[in-house]
Amino acid sequence: MASGLRIVTERVGDGAGQPVLDPDNGEELMHVQPGVSIVLGNRPPESPGTLYISTKQVVWLSDTDRAKGYAVDFVSLSLHAVSRDPDAYHSPCIYTQIETGAEELESEDSDSESDNILNLSKITEMRLVPSDPNQLDTLFAIFCECAELNPDPIEAEGEDGHNWVFSADQLEDDGGEDDDSEWAIPENSSHSIGSNGNHDLAHSVVQLHINDQRFEDAEEMEQDDKNGHH
Amino acid sequence: MLFFSYFKDLVGREVTVELKNDLAIRGTLHSVDQYLNIKLENTRVVDQDKYPHMLSVRNCFIRGSVVRYVQLPPEGVDVELLHDATRREARGG
Repeated sequence: MASGLRIVTERVGDGAGQPVLDPDNGEELMHVQPGVSIVLGNRPPESPGTLYISTKQVVWLSDTDRAKGYAVDFVSLSLHAVSRDPDAYHSPCIYTQIETGAEELESEDSDSESDNILNLSKITEMRLVPSDPNQLDTLFAIFCECAELNPDPIEAEGEDGHNWVFSADQLEDDGGEDDDSEWAIPENSSHSIGSNGNHDLAHSVVQLHINDQRFEDAEEMEQDDKNGHH
Repeated sequence: MLFFSYFKDLVGREVTVELKNDLAIRGTLHSVDQYLNIKLENTRVVDQDKYPHMLSVRNCFIRGSVVRYVQLPPEGVDVELLHDATRREARGG
C-alpha cells in the first residue's frame, strides 16, 4: 500500500512541462513551487527543480532534464515537518519521512551505495529545500491539508479476527462526518476531560450513568418479584 | 471516536509520539484530527543519538496510521472517566 518514492519520467506540456495527474480519480493540482531542490536520503541535493503538490501526491520535476523527476503519494508520507535548525540540516527545508513498505524484506549486507544506482525503495527521508525559506510555512500547511485528504484505505478485518480498533482509519465508516477533518485547536487549554470542552465524552458518561440506573432498577424489580412470590 | 475526543482534550500538553519505525518525538500537542493525524509543536527527538539529523523541528505532522504509541502526561489521564467511556464504547454506543 505504501509504495514509497517513484521515479517520474513522463510529463506533459511544453518547456519543463508539468506532472501527469489523474483528474479522473479526482486528483487536482494544489500548489506549484518553483525553485526547490530535492535531497533524497543522504544524497547531495538535486536542483534546479519545481515542486508540484496535488491532492494525491508530491511531485518534484527537474527544470533542466525532462526525464528526471520523483514522486511520492501522500499515503506514503509518514510525517512532514519544518526544519530550520542548522544543526539538523544546513538549509531550512521541509523534512519528510517516507514509508516504503520494503523495510521487512531488506537485508543490509547486499546494500552497495557504490554502484551509484539509486535504489528508491531504500529512500526513507526526503528534504525539499525552497530557495525562498519564507515559503516553508505555506508548504507545510499545504502538506497538512493534502495529507488529511488521504487517509489510509479501510483494511479488511485483521488477521486475528478480533473487532479491536487499532487505528483511526478503521473508524472512518463510523463517524458519518464529512471528509473535512476538524482540527482541535486549544480554545481553553485549562479545561479538564469531560468538562465543557468535550461534549462527546461528557455525553457518553451521562448516558452510561443512565444505563446503569436502568440496570439497577431492573435488578430491584427482579428482587421485588421474588419477594412477592415468597 | 473515543480517542479522537480524548486526544482533543490533551491539546496544549506535552506528549511523546512513538512511530512504528521506532522514532519517538516529544512535543506540544497542537492538534489532532479524526484520523488521529497528530500535529506537534516545538518537537525534539527522544533518541537523539540515533536520529541526529532530526534534532529539532518546529512543526511536525505525523500521519495517524504510523503512530504506535502516544505517551500521555500522567496528569492528563482521568482513569475513571476513560474507564466509563471505554466501557460505553465497547457496548457499541
